[in-house]
Amino acid sequence: MAKFEKLIKASLLACTMLSVLVTGLIVLSVFSETLRFFSHIPLSDFFFGTEWSPQMAMRDDQAGSSGTFGAVPIFMGTFLVTLIAMAVATPLGLYAAIFLSVYASPRFKAWAKPILEILAGVPSVVYGYFAVITLAPILRAGGEMVGLSIASESALTAGTVMGIMITPYVMSLSEDVISSVPKSLSFGSLAIGATQSETIKKVILPAALPGIVSALLLGVSRGVGETMVVVMAAGLAANLTLNPLESVTTATVQIVTLLVGDHEFDSDKTLAAFALGFSLFFMTLLLNIAALIIVKRYREQYD
Amino acid sequence: MIKIFERRTRIAMNRVKKKKSPFIYKSYSKKPKHKWLRKRNAQEQRFKRTGVFCILIAFFFLASLVWNIFSNGYSAFTEAQINLPVEFQAELIEDDAYRKIIQNSLLELFPGIEDRKEKRELFSLISRNAPHILEKIVEEDPTVIGRKSMVWIPASSAVSIFYKQHLYEQAKRSGKISTSQVAWVTDLARTQNMRLKFNATFFKNGDSREAEQAGVLASTIGSFMTILVCIAMAFPLGVATAIYLEEFARKSWFTDFIEININNLAAVPSIIFGLLGLSIYLNIFGLPRSSSLVGGMVLALLILPVIVIATRNALQAVPPSIRYAAAALGATPTQVVFHHTLIYALPGIMTGVILSIARAFGETAPLLMIGMVAFIADVPKTFTDPATTLPVQVYLWANNPELGFVEKTAAAIMVLLTFMVLINLLAIYIRRRFEIKW
Repeated sequence: MAKFEKLIKASLLACTMLSVLVTGLIVLSVFSETLRFFSHIPLSDFFFGTEWSPQMAMRDDQAGSSGTFGAVPIFMGTFLVTLIAMAVATPLGLYAAIFLSVYASPRFKAWAKPILEILAGVPSVVYGYFAVITLAPILRAGGEMVGLSIASESALTAGTVMGIMITPYVMSLSEDVISSVPKSLSFGSLAIGATQSETIKKVILPAALPGIVSALLLGVSRGVGETMVVVMAAGLAANLTLNPLESVTTATVQIVTLLVGDHEFDSDKTLAAFALGFSLFFMTLLLNIAALIIVKRYREQYD
Repeated sequence: MIKIFERRTRIAMNRVKKKKSPFIYKSYSKKPKHKWLRKRNAQEQRFKRTGVFCILIAFFFLASLVWNIFSNGYSAFTEAQINLPVEFQAELIEDDAYRKIIQNSLLELFPGIEDRKEKRELFSLISRNAPHILEKIVEEDPTVIGRKSMVWIPASSAVSIFYKQHLYEQAKRSGKISTSQVAWVTDLARTQNMRLKFNATFFKNGDSREAEQAGVLASTIGSFMTILVCIAMAFPLGVATAIYLEEFARKSWFTDFIEININNLAAVPSIIFGLLGLSIYLNIFGLPRSSSLVGGMVLALLILPVIVIATRNALQAVPPSIRYAAAALGATPTQVVFHHTLIYALPGIMTGVILSIARAFGETAPLLMIGMVAFIADVPKTFTDPATTLPVQVYLWANNPELGFVEKTAAAIMVLLTFMVLINLLAIYIRRRFEIKW
């Protein structure tokens, strides 16, 4: 019997080790390919170069056959699209969360929150389709009306749709945080004559700030790693620009375009995708850890 | 004495209830006298209205998303058919020249067309699949040979869309339908030789280059096979990990490390898992590219941390008294877990697992990395066959600029969302029906 117990325990431990191994494998596999990439291309070229054209030449003797891998335009594009997304998601998600947790009646909240969370469950490829079919033509027509020319695959389209996608996520997380601020704090504020909005702005939000910031950081990390919306709605050309009306490309888009289709595995082109993937992994990891630390360190203990 | 006191208190309480409370500022009926108070109240109103406005915008997005998909996609569930007088000539059937038969009957319907370009336009009224349909008819009923009968043949995608939605301008601009074709279709419609039928092809076929023949069967089956592999791998592994961490492991730096690891894994962008699948499954293990096996294994890694976290929460929710009771009756630690704790935690675990499956079902990006984007027309039979999944199919069709594929994309999204809703409803049902509140 004791043997049997030990066996079960050992197999459970083995499963746990396997799960942990997965994390290790991710880092290791992506990291080793990244190292191989940087043994061909110097680090400084990748992180400070402003020219991205990974297309290899057909023949070896052709000029520029190695392709150039300056990833600045790509990181810039990722930054721009995520910025637009957060510009949409932050006010929408925060105000919606405040309204739901403070003003809305419990009945309204009980059905409104799950319905809005549907938005979070919709697959991202659906948002991509929405961006291409609906939002891009609307934005272009709107731009023409005011005399702006908006590229059909613009950072604005991709960012806006990504923002819509992140909104319920931010809303849901910050709603939880705001609801968990002790009622006694807001009662105290209301009792000395503050209006509801003053209470929110001066008491509830400061108390909930660490949680809200971490919710926003998690939103950013989702935006940075989001793939399908940008693959479908943002462009492929690596433009170094901060103009949201132009087409930009992001790290995820480049990974997809570099790796989809037939390719030999050892070219710089495919290795570049792994380097981008590793930077992406690293970035989101930092964001998540930052979110964790902020919550841990700055949370006020009220009870 | 006490009774009188009780009555008085009740009366007093009733009075208080009836009166509106003066302590909440909202119930000020009069406009405040002071300017600064008015300003503050106006600010309050503005703030509240902004909140309402933001909620409304979020609802508006949801509504426009749903409406947009429905309005684009509902038409894909019907197809236009043309009634053709087909003469099953024996010599043509022997030569397998079904195309010729179709062409003859079309020419019979619209006689007097000599121009080659016009002829080509005429022939492209109907689906390219038409010869196969005739072939099937002959196979099923050979007595038809030599006779002439009316057969409903599916129209081509462009004609079908034009007929369904009267999108004359759009269809013409896409270069898929010409002026003379419009005239013919109008003529056919007038003489009742055109009809709309439920588009069974959409559910019976795999992908196709021709919009009118493209269907979701192959990708749906691919999706289910992928999910099957995914569950088979992630469920035991995830639950076992959670049980070990929650019930057996002593708290140490090592369990802390595992916990941080798993929590971080849950937040890694999904595309990174695709990179992992590409470099480990495909290049090191040499598993078949684009197969549902590899797809499922990649998705399993993706939902593994989610399952671990959900299972741990479910196990935590089981009160320790259950464990003590079992142990007091002489159960060994594993018996306590597998005979008692796990059973009580099962509804919670199932809910978590099903919700994570819903996530895997809608996932696209990692599958692109391992080559599940290939054009796949056949239904996959084994787990190593090349396969594609529903969301990937949506992505593929969304990239196709042809007008016929726009409605197909939206229709495929509708199928995808239907499955998602079903999966979520299942989770809600299990939670409502089986979950125990302690």
